[in-house]
Amino acid sequence: MTTLVLDNGAYTAKIGYSHEKVSVIPNCQFRSKTLRLKTFTANQLDEIKDPSGLFYILPFQKGYLVNWDVQRKVWDHLFGKEMFKVDFADTSVVITEPYFNFMSIQESMNEILFEEYQFQAALRINAGSLSAHRYFQENNSELCCIVVDSGFSFTHIAPYCRGRKMKDGICRINVGGKLLTNHLKEIISYRQLHVMDETHVINQVKEDVCYVSQDFYNDMEIAQLKGEENMVMRDYVLPDFSSIKKGFCKPREEMNFTGKYKTGEQILRLNNERFAVPEMLFHPSDIGIQEMGIPEALVNSINKMPEEMQPHFYKNIVLTGGNALFPGFRDRVYKEVRALAPAEFQVSVVLPQNPICYAWEGGKLLAENPDFEEMVVTREDYEENGHCIYEKFDI
Amino acid sequence: MVSVLRSQDPSQRRVLDSATRQRRLTRQLEALEKDNFQDDPHASLPQLVKRLPQFDENNESGKRRKKTRGDHFKQRFRKNFQALLEEEELSVSEGPNYLTACAEPSTLPQRHFCAVCGFPSNYTCVSCGARYCCVRCLGTHHETRCLKWTV
Repeated sequence: MTTLVLDNGAYTAKIGYSHEKVSVIPNCQFRSKTLRLKTFTANQLDEIKDPSGLFYILPFQKGYLVNWDVQRKVWDHLFGKEMFKVDFADTSVVITEPYFNFMSIQESMNEILFEEYQFQAALRINAGSLSAHRYFQENNSELCCIVVDSGFSFTHIAPYCRGRKMKDGICRINVGGKLLTNHLKEIISYRQLHVMDETHVINQVKEDVCYVSQDFYNDMEIAQLKGEENMVMRDYVLPDFSSIKKGFCKPREEMNFTGKYKTGEQILRLNNERFAVPEMLFHPSDIGIQEMGIPEALVNSINKMPEEMQPHFYKNIVLTGGNALFPGFRDRVYKEVRALAPAEFQVSVVLPQNPICYAWEGGKLLAENPDFEEMVVTREDYEENGHCIYEKFDI
Repeated sequence: MVSVLRSQDPSQRRVLDSATRQRRLTRQLEALEKDNFQDDPHASLPQLVKRLPQFDENNESGKRRKKTRGDHFKQRFRKNFQALLEEEELSVSEGPNYLTACAEPSTLPQRHFCAVCGFPSNYTCVSCGARYCCVRCLGTHHETRCLKWTV
């Protein structure tokens, strides 16, 4: 009986058998304006030679799975002959869901897993729970931890104690990678070049060039300097998909501060956007979203917990999700939480080696756990009891 | 440049009230949630072309799966987010749920940035409420964005 672990995210699906490695695959369909007739699913993205003006069809909306047509097509591709060749009768699946998932989505998920795909057994769990499990595996002397999952659609902050999530402390900030990319597209379109259609390219720009500043106002002042003294400014070479396949950031030595470049490449000059865009994770009010940022929400969440547990939470803060990969993210979270937390508590923020796959690794450990058989719901259970089984999962 | 600005006499320009400004802000935030800003490339294709691939799929997988039960099934699987949220609001139970989990407003004051260049701003446009940092940025704002489209 093999186990397939699937961290079903809104942007990428992290999927793999528990005895093999994880693959990170886009969880959506694409359409290109050049190759008109075909719809590309998931990792068929690599076949597209010209990803300009790429049209995304995402099954998730605001972080919740609403479009089952698209999701089923992606899953058909992933579970089929070309990818994982799943033998449903002999496989259990561990699949992740967002916090406070809606009842109708949970029911649809049950139906699709058991009646359409006919998996032998399934375990539905929050991605943060898998991350917490992974963390407790490495640090088995710790009792509590607080998981910050900053992904594509939103950021969740969830406290865990002895392996169980504390629902009262779960906090959701509606800022995620999607918002950051869209905001970056808007400001570039207004200041330099119209890129509103180029989600794929600008996402790459964001990942290559943006960073989290440690001292916001200081960086703002440096960005206002002219010429060589401006350490913040960078030039980014946009891909044209014929000679330059992938965009890249020009190194500082090659930058031309005065006048134009002689070569025919398209250049984006990025100045304060580099750190102003990720700043939205720390201050969503910068853009008008009236919510608190990650450090404040962390402290807020911990304050809702019983007093004797609070020092333990401060000592075990785990950062996961794609947004944790911004350079300087971990140090900034540490600095702000340290400033807000009471002086007698010890603060420790952990950034794992691979924040995107951390939850998947937790799923892999869970599948190898001897208690796994009791945690899953088998197909026979579902057929006898119907949707009452969702109470076991407590999502 | 300066004379162009001076001729835009404050009494001649329309001033938006706070309700309209709030609506504009909400519109802008909703636009940030969009997946795509262009149209579907397949939207203009005739329906016939799209039928062909599906025929093949049915042949292959007919054995394996239970056929989906038609309209009722599909209808349930096609709710959009707004509908789900309304359902959730109706069936609100005790304890934490999706709505209560949302982060509260920040206790720190809001910071403002120039709509044109992105640096910290001190001044507000009289007509539409956008922020600017210097007179040059105000000029650019008036020429390009101010009141160019209304809600």
